[in-house]
Amino acid sequence: MYWVSVFTEAAVFAILALGLDVIWGWTGDFDLAFYGYLALGSYFTFVLSIGKPVPPVEYIIGWHLPVVAAIVLAVVAVVCVAAVVGAIALRNLRGIYFAITTLGAVSALYLLVENYTPLFNGYNGVYGLVNPGQSALNLTYDGYRVLFLVVVLVLLFLAYLLVQRLSRSPFGRMLRSVREDERAAAAYGRPVFFAKYRAYLFGAALAGLAGGLFAIFISAFNTGAWSPQELLVIYAAILVGGRGNPRGVILGVFVVYIGFIELTRYLPSPASRPEFGPALRQVLIGLMLVLMLKFRPEGIFRERPGVDHGPGPAGHPVSGRIGARAGGGPAPAPAPAAPAGAGDALSAGLAHDGAPEGPGSDDGGPG
Amino acid sequence: MTTFLVTVGVGLATAAILALSAVALTLEYAVSRVVNFAHGEFLTIGAYVAYSTQAIFHENVAAGAVIAAAAGAVAGLALNAAVIERFRGRTATTVLIATLGVALIVENVLEMIYGAANVSYGYPQGSLHHVGPFLWTTSDIEVIVAALAVAALIYLLLQRTRFGKAIRAVSQDRALAQVSGIPARRIITQTWILAGAVAGFAGFALADTVGTFGPLLGFNFLLLTITATVAGGLGRPYATLGGALIVGLVVQIAGTYTSSAYELVFAFLLLVVLMLFRPNGVFVRRGTVAVRA
Repeated sequence: MYWVSVFTEAAVFAILALGLDVIWGWTGDFDLAFYGYLALGSYFTFVLSIGKPVPPVEYIIGWHLPVVAAIVLAVVAVVCVAAVVGAIALRNLRGIYFAITTLGAVSALYLLVENYTPLFNGYNGVYGLVNPGQSALNLTYDGYRVLFLVVVLVLLFLAYLLVQRLSRSPFGRMLRSVREDERAAAAYGRPVFFAKYRAYLFGAALAGLAGGLFAIFISAFNTGAWSPQELLVIYAAILVGGRGNPRGVILGVFVVYIGFIELTRYLPSPASRPEFGPALRQVLIGLMLVLMLKFRPEGIFRERPGVDHGPGPAGHPVSGRIGARAGGGPAPAPAPAAPAGAGDALSAGLAHDGAPEGPGSDDGGPG
Repeated sequence: MTTFLVTVGVGLATAAILALSAVALTLEYAVSRVVNFAHGEFLTIGAYVAYSTQAIFHENVAAGAVIAAAAGAVAGLALNAAVIERFRGRTATTVLIATLGVALIVENVLEMIYGAANVSYGYPQGSLHHVGPFLWTTSDIEVIVAALAVAALIYLLLQRTRFGKAIRAVSQDRALAQVSGIPARRIITQTWILAGAVAGFAGFALADTVGTFGPLLGFNFLLLTITATVAGGLGRPYATLGGALIVGLVVQIAGTYTSSAYELVFAFLLLVVLMLFRPNGVFVRRGTVAVRA
């Protein structure tokens, strides 16, 4: 049962990472508020499904919905919050301001949740969501947990299919063109703000879903269960797996969660200092993040280039680009990768169509 | 009215520390074009090193301040050499993530050394003084005076010395400064040492003012620091001082009339307003500056 629990947690975080990768891997923005969306998704799932609060416990809403409906509504609520945060953070369209704004948002959210008890019972948090529907399904506790793992894995697979499909759609390619060169994309008539905004909301929705599943997984949630810095593990996992590559991201999460976290669980802590081991683990996560960024920013598994080998001249670099220019207006299907390279003529000229969007070129921008 | 004036007084003390921290952050940004998310760790390191050595110097405040500044200077030097320079040429976001990783490392190394629980200084706070309409402790006054002195020194350094001129040149265009015969790399290293020293001292002042602190002292102060820096305009040292004054006062006053737990919430709201209406700083008229990437 221990491993069922480990795999469930890893699968939930894989869904979260898929959402985060849409924002970070595809559009290049560093979102620090993302763990807040998981937390909000969890909190909303609780308050929508565990019924009225009994004093001294207090929280908003207090409905008694079936847990599936609660998760759906929680996702909607999370997307609404993300709509506000994203609109502010993306407004300046500058990477560092985005990071600063999202850090501010998540810090404010954390303090508000912790100190304003009428919201989600403050520091003590919400609890009481123990295996919802277990008796209706006529299952044992262990049977329920196994079923839950299966459900989470199925949802992860569905999320993967969705992300993969989106990644190969014109929308996914447009986002990458925005990531590679925002100005060039804008010059080619791509709606940069709305493209990023839609990606942000999509990512937040996955975080909300992960939050809802996390609620069932841990059955109690308070400010001790999340902090904005937890997010760095997810970023490290995405970096290990390979930014912008959904399959790599999922693999990265499983490698980091199961390999790394389980192995470091047995780090020694002196009896008088129980925080020593966990702190050492955080140090190692920080080191992993910095070293991956420095030496292998494209990850173990690279983003797969050239996903748009359509028929015709698409495989031919020069004619493909000229075709896109001659076409004008909304570019035909094989073209959207071209604006990405167009701002950086050298790399576009050297690489074949679609290749300029490799994640390594994240750092190749002018300046 | 009395409450309000006392609040303003406390706000000025907060603003003084904020000004030190924000000026250091803005100097780092000016020469390296990096928003250093490990900046808070300079403050924390300064505070902890002063804590470790306080017994040696018999709780002498001046010795504590100097040691904290020295520790911060070493931290600044180390961060620049180990991370910032090595990530040169990478996007601003990439370097920002790397510094955040460093912040995570430093916080947890400190936790491994000192434990997660708060520690407290034995430095005397001194008695309360009525200065004009304000009510300050001795250490409040020391902090404010020291902040003014440091601000004046930085002004003189930037405006009147060759080093300051070189900093200004590098912050405008590193490559151009380099071809003009300015040793850009050395100037940047020295700027990080300076910024680290100022931040380390700010950490000491902060820890002394709040009394008890833990490994997250500096990181929790980072959002306020960034807000003050953005209020002044990233990379603009003098405007940053004004930004710190505004942010310190607004946050303190708003916090006093609601709850001090919400101070950062107000800082965030202020940050949002700045981002929306004055992304280049409150002292800049719209359209007068080119946006710096």
